[in-house]
Amino acid sequence: MPDSKISTKEAIMLVITVIVSHTIVTLPTSLLKNTKSAVLLNIIFISIMALLIAYLIYILMRKFQGQDIIDISEYLGGKWCKNIIGTVFIVYFITSSGILLRNFCEGLKIIYFPNTNIVFIMLAFIVTICITNTFKFSANCKTISIILPFVILSIILLFIGNLQHFTFERIFPLLGEGFFNTFILGLGNLTAFGGISCLYIIPPLLKNPEKMKKIALTSIGISAVYLIFCVSTILFMFAFFQNIDEPLPLYTAASYIEFGTFFQRLDAIFLLVWMLEICCYLCIASQFSTILLKKIANLKHSRPLFFIFPLLIFSVALIPKNYAISRFIGDTVYNYVIIFVVFILSLLLLFLANIKKKKEGGNFNEKQVEQTTN
Amino acid sequence: MKNKLNKLLISIIIIYLIIAFNSSHVALDLSNLAIVVAMAIDTSDTNNLSVTFQFTNASSVSENGSSEQSPSIVNTVEASSISSAINLMNSYIGKELSLSHCKLIVFSEEFAKQGISEEIYTLMNDNQIRPSTNLVISKCSAKYYIENSKPMLDSLITKYYEVYNNASLYTGYTTDATIGNFFNNLNCGTCEPYGILGGVNVEQNNTDTSINSEKDANSQANNSSISGSLRSENSGLAVFKDATLVGELTAIENLSFLCTKNDIEGFLVSVPNPENDTEYIDVNLVPSKDSKIKVDIINGSPYIKVDFSFTGRIYSMTEDFDFLDNTFLENISKSCNSYLKTTFTNYYYKTSKELNSDINGFGKFVLKHFSTITDFNDYNWNDNYKNSFFDVNVDTNVKSGFLLM
Repeated sequence: MPDSKISTKEAIMLVITVIVSHTIVTLPTSLLKNTKSAVLLNIIFISIMALLIAYLIYILMRKFQGQDIIDISEYLGGKWCKNIIGTVFIVYFITSSGILLRNFCEGLKIIYFPNTNIVFIMLAFIVTICITNTFKFSANCKTISIILPFVILSIILLFIGNLQHFTFERIFPLLGEGFFNTFILGLGNLTAFGGISCLYIIPPLLKNPEKMKKIALTSIGISAVYLIFCVSTILFMFAFFQNIDEPLPLYTAASYIEFGTFFQRLDAIFLLVWMLEICCYLCIASQFSTILLKKIANLKHSRPLFFIFPLLIFSVALIPKNYAISRFIGDTVYNYVIIFVVFILSLLLLFLANIKKKKEGGNFNEKQVEQTTN
Repeated sequence: MKNKLNKLLISIIIIYLIIAFNSSHVALDLSNLAIVVAMAIDTSDTNNLSVTFQFTNASSVSENGSSEQSPSIVNTVEASSISSAINLMNSYIGKELSLSHCKLIVFSEEFAKQGISEEIYTLMNDNQIRPSTNLVISKCSAKYYIENSKPMLDSLITKYYEVYNNASLYTGYTTDATIGNFFNNLNCGTCEPYGILGGVNVEQNNTDTSINSEKDANSQANNSSISGSLRSENSGLAVFKDATLVGELTAIENLSFLCTKNDIEGFLVSVPNPENDTEYIDVNLVPSKDSKIKVDIINGSPYIKVDFSFTGRIYSMTEDFDFLDNTFLENISKSCNSYLKTTFTNYYYKTSKELNSDINGFGKFVLKHFSTITDFNDYNWNDNYKNSFFDVNVDTNVKSGFLLM
C-alpha cells in the first residue's frame, strides 16, 4: 500500500535521506575535487541556490496543490507527456539507486567482506527492500524518521571525534582554484541536492500538501548544514592536494576516531548506521518508482511491482564491469542526469504548465474532475 | 498458508546469508589468522626488502594468565614488495596474516634514506592497517629493533605498544608519530612527514666526564645514557623530505617540535642558574597558551613569528634558594626565556637551512596569503622553506617551587 499519506516531518526526513545517502559514498570527495579549499564557500553558495530552486519549485507547484510532476505533465501535454516524464523519473530513480548500491557495496566488500562475492552483498540489500516494499509507504517513512537522526548524529560525532586531527587552515586559499571554478563551474556541485527530485513526487503523498514550502525549505536547509559538517570533516582532515580517491571517505575519517585506549575502532558502528541509511534510500527509490509506474500505467494494485523495482535496481548495479566504471557513472554521468532531470526538464515543465494555466485562467482542479468524470 | 510462506522465506534468507557470508566469516576467524603486532622493514642484499613480522600467540596468553609475559614470535622474509612478503609468510605459517592489530611499523634508517613512499602507499592501501599505527625509523636494523622490543613492565606485547609513546606528553623527548599522519603529511603540500626515531640501547664507551645537562637533552635513540632490560628505546625525531629520510633530531629538538605543534602537556628543562652560570636548575614547564604562529612573506622569503607562553615550577632545591623572593623567580623566568628562545631558534633554523623540511607545518599558516591554489603552488612553499627566517618569543612565568619554598 505505497499510497498512504505521510506527515510533514516524515516528508522532510525523506528528502534529507535522499541527499544524505549520497554523502556516505563518494559525494564529499567529488565536491572537494571540484572546488578544493573553496569547498565550504561553494557549499554555502550552492545551498543558497538550492534553497532558491526549492522555493521556485514551491511557487511553481502552488497552483497545482496536491499534484505531483506526473499530474502536471499530464495537464501540460496529455498522456504522452505524462508517460515520458514518468518513465524518465523511474529510470532516474532506478539508475541512481543501482549505482549508489554498487559503489557502497564495493566499499563494503573491500572493508568487511573480502571473500564474499559482491553479488551476494548487493542481494542482501535487495532482499531488505523487497521486504520493506510490502509495508505501507508511511510505515517506511516512519522507519526513515527513526534512522536518519542516527545518521546525522554519526556525522556530528565524526566531526567532533576527529577535531584533534583537524587543520582548520585548510580552508585557505579561500577561492580554491579561482572564482570561476568556485562559483561558475562550482554550480555543478548543485547535484549534491539531487534530493530535490523528491519535491516533485511527494505532494500527493502528503497529509498536509499546503505545507510544501516548509518541507522544501527545511529539508534543503538541514541538508546544507549536514553537507557542511560532512565536507568539513574531509577537508580539515585530509590534504586536498592529494589525488587519491577512497571508496568510502567518511569511513576512512571514522577509522581515525579513538577515545583513549578503550573506545577504539568505532568505524564498524558508523558503517552499520550508514548501511541502514542506504537501505532507506533504496526503499524510497523503489517505492517512488512503484508509485510513478502505478500512475502512468493506471494500475489499481501495486503489489505485483513490489519485487520488480528492487530487481531492476539490482540489475543496474550489476552492469558496471568494475569499480572504476561504477565510480565514473556515480560521480560524472549521474551529475549530468540530475542536472537534466531535476534542474532542467522538471523546472521547464513546471514553467510551461504555469504559463498554460495562466493563459487558460481556469481552475486546473475543476478540469481534472471534468476529465475524470468524462 | 501465509505463515508457511513467511517461514519458507525466512529459511531461504537464513540459508542465503550462511552461504553468502560464510567465506568472509571463515577468513576472519581467529583460528585462521596470525595476529601481527609489529612489522619491520629493512634493506636486503638478495632482494628488494626484508620484512620481519612480530606475532603474538593469543592462545598462550590465555593459558598462562596475565601475570606472565606472553611470548612473541619473530619471523623474517625477503621479498620484492611488502605484499609479496605477506604472501610468502602466509604460505610459510599456514595462516593468513592479520595486520588489523599491528601497532608498530619500523623502517631501518638505511631503508628510509632510499625513500619509503611506495611502502607507505602500499600499507595505507591495506584496509587492515590502522592509521593510528606508530611509525618508527630505527637507527639500527628494524629487525633488531623489533627483537629487542620486549615489554619490561607489561605482560602483553600489544599492551606495551598501546602505551608505547605516552611519555611524549610529559617528557617531550619522543613523538606519537603515526602512519596515518605520515601519509597525510606526505600529500600535504604545506608540511613534511616525520617518524619516531628509535634504536637499541648499546653500552656507551663515553669518555666525556663533564657534568652537563645538555648531555641529557641532546640524547638520541642508540645514543642515550640509559642501561636496562628494555633495550629498544625511542628518543628524537626522524625528519623526512617527501618520503626520504633527510635528518634526525635530538630529544631537545623533538621537544621544540612538540611545543610548536602544541602536542605536549608539560616538560622538564635544565636552565642555567641566573646566580651561578656553572649550575643548572631543573624547571617543570607547562604551556599556558597554545603557541601562536604567524607567517608573512617578506621579499619572497617566509618570515615566521612564533610566540610561546609557559608557566613553571622549580624542581631543583638547595638551602640557598628562596622561592618567595620575586626577583629570584623573575631571574629564573628570564633564564628560561633565554634558554628556550635559543633552543627553539636553533631548532627552526636546523629544519629550515640544514634539512629544508617543514615538519612543523608552518606552510598551513601561509595559505591565507594566497587567494588561489595556483598562486600557492607557484610559490612552491616546500622548496622556499629553506629561505625562512624566524622570530621566536618566549614568555615564561616561573611561579614557585613545589613543597619547599
